[in-house]
Amino acid sequence: MDRQVMMETARQMVATIDDLPTIPAVATQVLQLLNSPDVNVDEVADLMLTDQVMTARVMKMVNSPVYRPSQEITSLKRALVYLGLRHIKEVALTSSFINAFEDKGGVLEVGPCWEHAFGVGMVAKVIAEKIHYNDLEKAYIGGVIHDIGEVVLSYYRSAEFAAVLEQTRQRPVNLVDVEMATFGTTHAEIGYCIAEKWNFPEAYREAILFHHDPRGASSDPVLCSIINLADLFCSVRELNYGGRSWVSFNLVEEDGWQILKEQFPSLAQLDVERFCYELDDAVPDVKELVSSIFSRQ
Amino acid sequence: MAISDKDFELLRDFIYNLCGMYFHSTKKYFLESRLTKRMEATGTKSAMDYYTLLKSPRGGEELRFLLDEVTTNETYFFRCVPQLNAIETKFLPEIVESKGKMGFRKLRIWSAASSSGEEAYTLAMMLLEKRATLLKDWIIEIVGTDINETVISQAKEGVYNSYSVRNVPELYKRKYFREEGGKFILSPDVKKFVTFNKLNLYDDTKMVFMKSFDFIFCANVLIYFDLAAKSKVVQHFYNNLQPYGYFFVGQSESLHGVNDKFKTVHFPGGFGYKK
Repeated sequence: MDRQVMMETARQMVATIDDLPTIPAVATQVLQLLNSPDVNVDEVADLMLTDQVMTARVMKMVNSPVYRPSQEITSLKRALVYLGLRHIKEVALTSSFINAFEDKGGVLEVGPCWEHAFGVGMVAKVIAEKIHYNDLEKAYIGGVIHDIGEVVLSYYRSAEFAAVLEQTRQRPVNLVDVEMATFGTTHAEIGYCIAEKWNFPEAYREAILFHHDPRGASSDPVLCSIINLADLFCSVRELNYGGRSWVSFNLVEEDGWQILKEQFPSLAQLDVERFCYELDDAVPDVKELVSSIFSRQ
Repeated sequence: MAISDKDFELLRDFIYNLCGMYFHSTKKYFLESRLTKRMEATGTKSAMDYYTLLKSPRGGEELRFLLDEVTTNETYFFRCVPQLNAIETKFLPEIVESKGKMGFRKLRIWSAASSSGEEAYTLAMMLLEKRATLLKDWIIEIVGTDINETVISQAKEGVYNSYSVRNVPELYKRKYFREEGGKFILSPDVKKFVTFNKLNLYDDTKMVFMKSFDFIFCANVLIYFDLAAKSKVVQHFYNNLQPYGYFFVGQSESLHGVNDKFKTVHFPGGFGYKK
């Protein structure tokens, strides 16, 4: 596979989509504000309150069992204080991304699709914690957005994508191989091009591009490996797009696992079995989060 | 009796660390009901009292009773569907290909705690369905072993109640069972692929003769062994497994810390072990 050719194909595909959603202005402003050195919570809250949809999403996400506040948080400012300035970015981006594709339909069902996205975000954060990765929110956001290329395929190339998924449902074939045969590129390259259009920071673009191939990453292979493993684990437990593809893997042979172990040898001691069982236990929390995000109340 | 989430987590962690069986939070009610029985039997008043008992010198003995409670009725046909799916979808075709290339056309499977035979016969039925295709001209050998002679005779007899067959797909039920007076009698076509023998997994002299298996299953037994015994038995399984073979334990069990040679292989809804 020639990555440059695949990338070019993806770029052309994305260029032909004329109604591609755009990132909301408020989200862009929030991200800019968060980058300024003397930012304070009041300013961010004031800005966010101008976007009611974003405010409502942030409140739902903060009160979800994944974040577990000790009592319900009812004001946006308290929510932002609770999250901490570093984490506002993750909810702002995630919330915009959900808005952009909400009600779009497509081949992938909204519920299972976001359960996988948030599941991978959550597991990525857990793995990041275990190896003391320096930026947990980055791991979380990267996890949530890693499959944006699939969301795009699901909506804009639905007939072909449905056929791709059908081929991967019962047989142990790799989704990216079938995508390659069908589109001449994969959801990783397509996701990268979208992230580029949306001006996602480079680290996220790289995470999207290399989440199936962490050895290819140059700036942050550890982040790509974290997301790669989180994706694999979610794909074999119940956060698997409702059983969309039949996935199996031998952990020690996975590049993501090897990269992380090279850098953090203590990971070899991880109780992988218990990790899977705990992941099963967390599935209801993720489902609850997704259903609360998509509820109209 | 309801136990608090905190006590549940405490007990769950203690049991897991001691024997490698994990209670999912969805199984909290189940554990509660079994614990209630054991608390009545031991005269303990609260979950914490019972926890203290488990940690005491008498704890080992009590844990066995508790495990008996939680594993009872755990033997039925098509018990672990994710495992069976993984074998059918990937592991079996993969092994058939590796062995086929080397000119071997024999498949060997061991149900190492076969009890009344449900697991061994489930595999036999599944493979029988492939006699015309994937396993055409293959020799199939399935061995079931157990330490308990009563269950071995039951396995050999092959007569089951409706509870045992409740998960059997309709097609299999019609094809491989005959219903008579509320009992389900297994067809001789399935029985002839399976042999049952008495075996103590702890008996080294006999374990070394259980050679060259492609799949080994051992559910709900290792949890009764202490770490040293567990390591010894699992090492036997490791030695008795073909290089491309797979080893499976029960659905909520873990071999973490027992054997560092086996590698985990993950599939939808479960995992197995490989050399």
